[in-house]
Amino acid sequence: MKRKNCIAMLLAGGQGSRLGVLTSKIAKPAVPYGGKYRIIDFPLSNCANSGIDTVGVLTQYKPLELNDYISSGKAWDLDRMDGGIHILPPYQGQKGGDWYKGTANAIYQNLSFIERYNPEYVLILSGDHIYKMDYSKMLKKHIETEASGTISVLEVPYEEASRFGIMNANEDDSIYEFEEKPKNPKSNLASMGIYIFTWEKLRHYLTEDEKNPNSSNDFGKDVIPAMLNAGEKMMVYRFKDYWKDVGTVDSLWEANLDLLNPKIDLNLSDEKWRIYSRTVGLPPQYVSSNAKIENSLVTDGCEIYGNIDYSILFANVLVEEGAVVEYSLVMPGAVIKKGAKVRYSIIAENSVVEENAEIGEDPAVVGSDGWGITLVGDNLKIGKNAKIGSNKMITEDVEEGKII
Amino acid sequence: MKSNKVSAIVFANVQGEHLGDLTAIRSTASVPFGARYRLIDFALSNLVNAGVSNVGIITKKNYRSLMDHLGSGMHWDLDRKNGGLHILPPFNDENAVRYTGYVDALNGARNFISRCNSEYIVISDGNVIANVDLYNAIRSHIKNEADVTLLWHKGEIKSNFSDTMIFDLDNENRINNITFNDTNVGEVNFGFGLYIINTNVLIEMIDFAYSNGITDLKFAFFVDKVKKLRIFGYEHKGYISVIDAEENYFDANMDLLNADVRRDLFNTDRPILTKARDNMPTRYGTRSVVENSLIGDGCVIEGTVKNSILFRGAVVEKGAVVENSIVMQSAKIKENATVKYSILDKNVLVGKNKVLMGTNGDALVINKNKEI
Repeated sequence: MKRKNCIAMLLAGGQGSRLGVLTSKIAKPAVPYGGKYRIIDFPLSNCANSGIDTVGVLTQYKPLELNDYISSGKAWDLDRMDGGIHILPPYQGQKGGDWYKGTANAIYQNLSFIERYNPEYVLILSGDHIYKMDYSKMLKKHIETEASGTISVLEVPYEEASRFGIMNANEDDSIYEFEEKPKNPKSNLASMGIYIFTWEKLRHYLTEDEKNPNSSNDFGKDVIPAMLNAGEKMMVYRFKDYWKDVGTVDSLWEANLDLLNPKIDLNLSDEKWRIYSRTVGLPPQYVSSNAKIENSLVTDGCEIYGNIDYSILFANVLVEEGAVVEYSLVMPGAVIKKGAKVRYSIIAENSVVEENAEIGEDPAVVGSDGWGITLVGDNLKIGKNAKIGSNKMITEDVEEGKII
Repeated sequence: MKSNKVSAIVFANVQGEHLGDLTAIRSTASVPFGARYRLIDFALSNLVNAGVSNVGIITKKNYRSLMDHLGSGMHWDLDRKNGGLHILPPFNDENAVRYTGYVDALNGARNFISRCNSEYIVISDGNVIANVDLYNAIRSHIKNEADVTLLWHKGEIKSNFSDTMIFDLDNENRINNITFNDTNVGEVNFGFGLYIINTNVLIEMIDFAYSNGITDLKFAFFVDKVKKLRIFGYEHKGYISVIDAEENYFDANMDLLNADVRRDLFNTDRPILTKARDNMPTRYGTRSVVENSLIGDGCVIEGTVKNSILFRGAVVEKGAVVENSIVMQSAKIKENATVKYSILDKNVLVGKNKVLMGTNGDALVINKNKEI
């Protein structure tokens, strides 16, 4: 097989348990985002736009919807005769098999996949973040500095630094120390979970890591520290643009509403850096005479008869007359019936909010103490006149008139 | 159904002469329609939804935009090793005759017809807006052991220039008599250029036309053979519009503002497929006012849009007003401009404070890439 310069391995097996009912049936990378995307569209589009044509997608948790979505990779121009997209679930070998134990172990279990392409470099990605990034620039720096590993970092406010894996780097961007969630951070360079390794080096350290019974087989906790201890040259790559982890309900909501903020530069239809997605056969959106839509994103298949403000409506959403949707995400196929009010909430796929039901509350009205985004799971029915307060997670149907 | 038991031929250049500037730079089939489509998307989707995956497209001239739209056929799942999409441009042999008529064009596709080795061929005009249950039409053709099954619709003929056929049918849906539309005759059973024909009968039809010196009149063969062959009808009950003039083009677009028409055309069991453009969703700005309009993805609306069709990537800036208009892909209406009863072709730019006014029944057409 022809040798590849750089291939990508995308860790897409995580459950994303902090997203609650949103990931009860699907893996986190398959969670809908921004009206017509799923989280995984970002790393996949970035790969396609960066000229990386071989991507292994490591799946484990609830892969069905993700597999179906990725399909042949056509939507991201990753259906290739040579390379292309490959879904890599855990498998059984002659000596048995195992679930992926950690991020590093997941890559280790797929050594033979990587060997087939015999690349010079391997790019490790995750399916948890919203960002547009040219990986080829990072690769260029990795090659120029002759590093063994390069870690993409973002400057975060110091007060938030203790939530991240922090890279302590010298002036020449070489890393001298890695600290996982330090109490007293020495730097504010947070790891974005994007790594480039020289394959020969990575293969060595992954094999060593596998031999160590005390290792948690994790890149951040084990492999990167081991490489630093062994004196390998590790560099940071400073990323300056928009990047957001969408690991929690609140951050997912925020990252979506960031699309409505003119001060945030996240243009998803920039012709030079398109974010691709797979949507098939939906008609255009229709906005009726009685509708009022402001400060919002609305996509194909929607029919709008009600009032929408500061919200994102995903494909095939129906908002009936007199219904109000504010500061909310309404995911594909959901229906908001006449007179219903949805505020500061996420309504997951195909759920139906019946007439005059009220979901979520405005923090300006109820006060910010204990306030939070309300999440209604997928395929649920919220009965007529039901009232659901703020900061609730709804996982089953709600009866007519019920107050939660 | 075995994959290539049925193949299809779509005419891309039908009835373009009355569409004015819309077809100056493109074939009829690639005229933009309905906020995100091209006319041919309906014919292609009807075929693909019926499981027909070997499709030849007969082109005549100006087919660059059509080629660009169709690409490899991947958006209709027609990028196949076996069958798939075939563009059939005019074949320049030593006679060097470009297709002068319908039969000429079919004759030019003879190679395609014999190579696809199918029992049945579906022939479809590329200017018909309808979501047709072609799967059941093909089944009925086979069950009836028909030679030809012509799709028909009961209603008034709105197309002005097509040589529309009118059918008399018996209780078994067999066609007894065919006449041609000459005047407005009220409600009739009319054909719309979509039929299923046995391959050997199609070859016979081409030979018939040649031996009788007929090159233009589309359906003389059927009129002649109506008693000799087993010619059946199959009723299409849903919405239909044959686009052959600027007026019915405008009206058919506006028909999409009717919920019943949308429900019928965008039937979820038989989706209408088109080329993906990977636009982000449409962004509605503060104080945007949108009423009774159909809007593609990737638009930015900060002004007022009423009773209009906005294609993907159109921009309506602050204070601008768009009413009763069709705004095609990536057209831009700058601040405080007014556009009423107009058709703005792709990439048209209407400058600040400019006013464009057509009238009801005579829309103003602004050509592609023009700046006002």
